[in-house]
Amino acid sequence: MAKEADLKLATRTALGTRACRRLRRNGQVPGNVYGHDAEPVAVSTNSAEFRSLVLSGVRVFNIDVEGRTDKALLKELNWDAFGDEVDHFDMMRVDPNERVTVHVPIELKGIAPGAMGGAGMLEQPIHELTIDCLAYQIPTSIPVRINTLEIGQAIHVKELELPEGIHVHAQPDAVVVHVVQVRNTPEPEAGALAGAQPEVIGKKTEEAAK
Amino acid sequence: MALMPKRVKHRKEQRGRVKGNATRGNSVAFGDWGLQTLEAGYIRGNTIEACRVAATQYVRGEGKLYIRIFPNKPMTARPLETRMGTGKGEPDHWVAVVKPGKILFELAGVSEALAKECFARVAYKLPVRVRLVPRLPSV
Repeated sequence: MAKEADLKLATRTALGTRACRRLRRNGQVPGNVYGHDAEPVAVSTNSAEFRSLVLSGVRVFNIDVEGRTDKALLKELNWDAFGDEVDHFDMMRVDPNERVTVHVPIELKGIAPGAMGGAGMLEQPIHELTIDCLAYQIPTSIPVRINTLEIGQAIHVKELELPEGIHVHAQPDAVVVHVVQVRNTPEPEAGALAGAQPEVIGKKTEEAAK
Repeated sequence: MALMPKRVKHRKEQRGRVKGNATRGNSVAFGDWGLQTLEAGYIRGNTIEACRVAATQYVRGEGKLYIRIFPNKPMTARPLETRMGTGKGEPDHWVAVVKPGKILFELAGVSEALAKECFARVAYKLPVRVRLVPRLPSV
């Protein structure tokens, strides 16, 4: 099940870009909490603490907004340009027994024999799955065992072993992970097309001009 | 062979200015590890090709390399020992414009240690400061 953590949030009255920038400069991260027929609340919390919780895989928080406690699901995260700091977050209040839609990462377990020795290469087209499940049932990750995967073999969405009550929003035939043959494409000859220039769109050629 | 577009609208372009940070292509999307630039700059097509060769030789079929940049901006140059004037020079090479935060390359299916060593070799060839970044957690 997904990790849970307690988080103290403070309501913020100063809204807008400049107020949020001021908050970030002071080590806070702005956010919004909404859902469950209650008014949306603009909040803020300690940036470093929140970031470490997010990186450790926490998705469900027991939030405390000025004395009112709720269970909330992290719905959206905005990172800065370098992916270092959280710029903003959205949380949705949830009932533990209500169904929610979340993105869960896929975790590969083991080593694919087909990908060893250099003949095959492991490719993972899907890194996360969108699932719906009860809020208290959200898995931290979806484990996929690749111990038996040989060259040319694949694991599809329909073959995943999911806990009871979890429904996946993906095509059953979608490939999650597969081992493909390494292609040895010949290197183009150096200088074969040296000095070549791309075609200019709309430029009249000499023949067309005649 | 250096990378370049197949078709272009104009043979020559003005240089412009590279301002601000990358707002797109700034998170690891395809692989497990990414090489992120910390500076703005121009990366030539032949530099990207040199990086590709260095990375693929090091991982030797163990992982998959993704190249997230493409040189789509033409740079002109004047021939040596010619006088100034008589218009803009002829297209000489192609560059990819990168802003701080842009992910240049990604590696999938390799360990952190291997990605670190591989990207260290790639970093030697690049004209910008770079760092190794992991995939951000999904929400």
